[in-house]
Amino acid sequence: MYRLTLTALAAAIIAVPVWAGSAQAKEYILTAVKPDKLVMVDPAARKVAKTYTIPNATPGVLTITPSPDGKIAYTLVNRWESISGIDLDSGKEVFRADFSTGDVRTKGMFGMTISPDGKEIFIVQSPVRLGAGEYEVMDNHIAVYNTADGIGAKPVRKLPVPRRTAILTNSTDGKKLYAVNWDVTVIDSQSGKVLGVHKIRNWGRKDHSEPDVLDVWPQWEQANMFSTPYYAVRTDVAMDHPEAFQTGMLTLDLKSGEFTMENFEPTAAIIFSTVVNPVRRNEVYGVYTTLSKIDIAKDTLVNRIDLDHTYYTINVSGDGKEIYVGGTMNDISVYNSETLEKIGRIEMPGGADQALASMRVIQR
Amino acid sequence: MKHLKPLNKKARLLEKAAEEGRTEEVHAMQTIAGCASTLDPGWEVDPLGGVAWLCQPMEADLYGCSDPCWWPAQVPDTLTTYPDWNTGADSAQRDWRALQAVFPKAK
Repeated sequence: MYRLTLTALAAAIIAVPVWAGSAQAKEYILTAVKPDKLVMVDPAARKVAKTYTIPNATPGVLTITPSPDGKIAYTLVNRWESISGIDLDSGKEVFRADFSTGDVRTKGMFGMTISPDGKEIFIVQSPVRLGAGEYEVMDNHIAVYNTADGIGAKPVRKLPVPRRTAILTNSTDGKKLYAVNWDVTVIDSQSGKVLGVHKIRNWGRKDHSEPDVLDVWPQWEQANMFSTPYYAVRTDVAMDHPEAFQTGMLTLDLKSGEFTMENFEPTAAIIFSTVVNPVRRNEVYGVYTTLSKIDIAKDTLVNRIDLDHTYYTINVSGDGKEIYVGGTMNDISVYNSETLEKIGRIEMPGGADQALASMRVIQR
Repeated sequence: MKHLKPLNKKARLLEKAAEEGRTEEVHAMQTIAGCASTLDPGWEVDPLGGVAWLCQPMEADLYGCSDPCWWPAQVPDTLTTYPDWNTGADSAQRDWRALQAVFPKAK
C-alpha cells in the first residue's frame, strides 16, 4: 500500500504542469504600459504586483510571450525591431535579439510564440532593404531563436510564412505552427514545410462574401484554443435585409487541430478580440466597447453589456470565473463570467496606456 | 549624366547613385507611399460611415493607431517616421494636449 501510494504520488507529480512545481503557484496577468514598462498584475488582490523597465523598448511594448514556466516574459519592443526577455524574479534582461542589420530593417509583425519546452521563440519578421532611392520589400519569414542564446541571440533558422500573418501560435505538442493570415497555414515547426491550410478568406461558403478577420492579440493560453470573430455579408438577401451582415466565431483547438467557423448573430457590435473559457469551453467572450458572451455550441449571443471605454484585449482566469479586459487605456477591469457584472478594476502604474500591448495570464 | 541637370530630389538622388554605381536602387515611384496601404476613408469612420462604432473615447485608440502606423496619413507613425511623437505623453486621454502636429522634414 505504501509503495502503491508512493507510485501514485510520483505519477501525480509527473502529470502536473511545469508551472505548478511550486505549491504556491498562482495566476498573474502580464501586460505592459507606455513607454517601456512590463507590468505583472495579481488579479486576486486586484493590484499591480511588480513593474519592470525594459531596456531600449520605447515607444511601447507590442506582443508579450511568457515562457511556459512563467519565469520569463519575451516582449516585442524597440519599434518592433527587438525581442527583450525579462526575468520576472530579478527584473533583469536575460534575452535580447535585435533584428535589423546593415541596410536591412526588420520589424516583428505581432506574431510571436514559444515552444512548449520554452527552448525556441518563433516570430514573424518583415525585412526591408533600405536602398539609396527606394525600399525593397523582402519576403516575410518566421525567425527562430534559441532562448538559451541570451543577449545578442541570432536566428537559428528561418521558415517561410505568408505575408499578412499577424497571429502565430503552435499546437500543444509543439510540432505545428499555426500562422493566421488570409487563411490559417499549418507549418512544421522544425522544417517549415506547409502541412495544410484552414481556409478563411478562401472559404467559399455558399451565399456568403469572403469573411473579414482582424486579429493581432495572443490570448489562447488558458483554454489552448485560439478564437477570433469574423464578419461576412450574405449574398442571398438584399443589403438592407436585417440578416445581411453576419458576425461569426472562428475557433482553432491547439490540441486537436479542430477548426470551425460559424455565424452567431446578425452584426450588432464590433468585437476586436476574444477568449475561450477553459472550464465551460462553449463560452467565448469578446471585447471592444462592449463585452459579449457567446455560446459556440449553440452559435448564439448569450449576453452583451456596454463597457466604460474601449478595450482591445481580453483574457480569463484558469477557473473560468473571471474575465479580464485590458489594452488601449490605463486599466484592467474584471468581470464575472456568469453575469458579466463588473467586480474589479486595476489601475496601471502612472496611469499610462497599455495601447496595443498583449495581456497574458501566467502561473508562477 | 554631365549633359543633364537634376531638377528635383529624386533626380539628384539618381545622379548621386550613378556616381556610386547604384542606379538600380533608384526607381520612379510606382506604389503607395507610407508604411501601410490602408485605404479606409480616414481617422476615423466606422463601417457604417458614422462614428458610433469607433473607440470610446477616441483617445483610447490613438496610440493603437500611431504605434503600428495604422493610419499613416492621419496619425503620426511612431513605428518609423516620428518615433518620439508621443514621448512623455504616456496617457493619451490625460496628455493629449502635449501631442503636436507633424510635418515632413525639409527637403
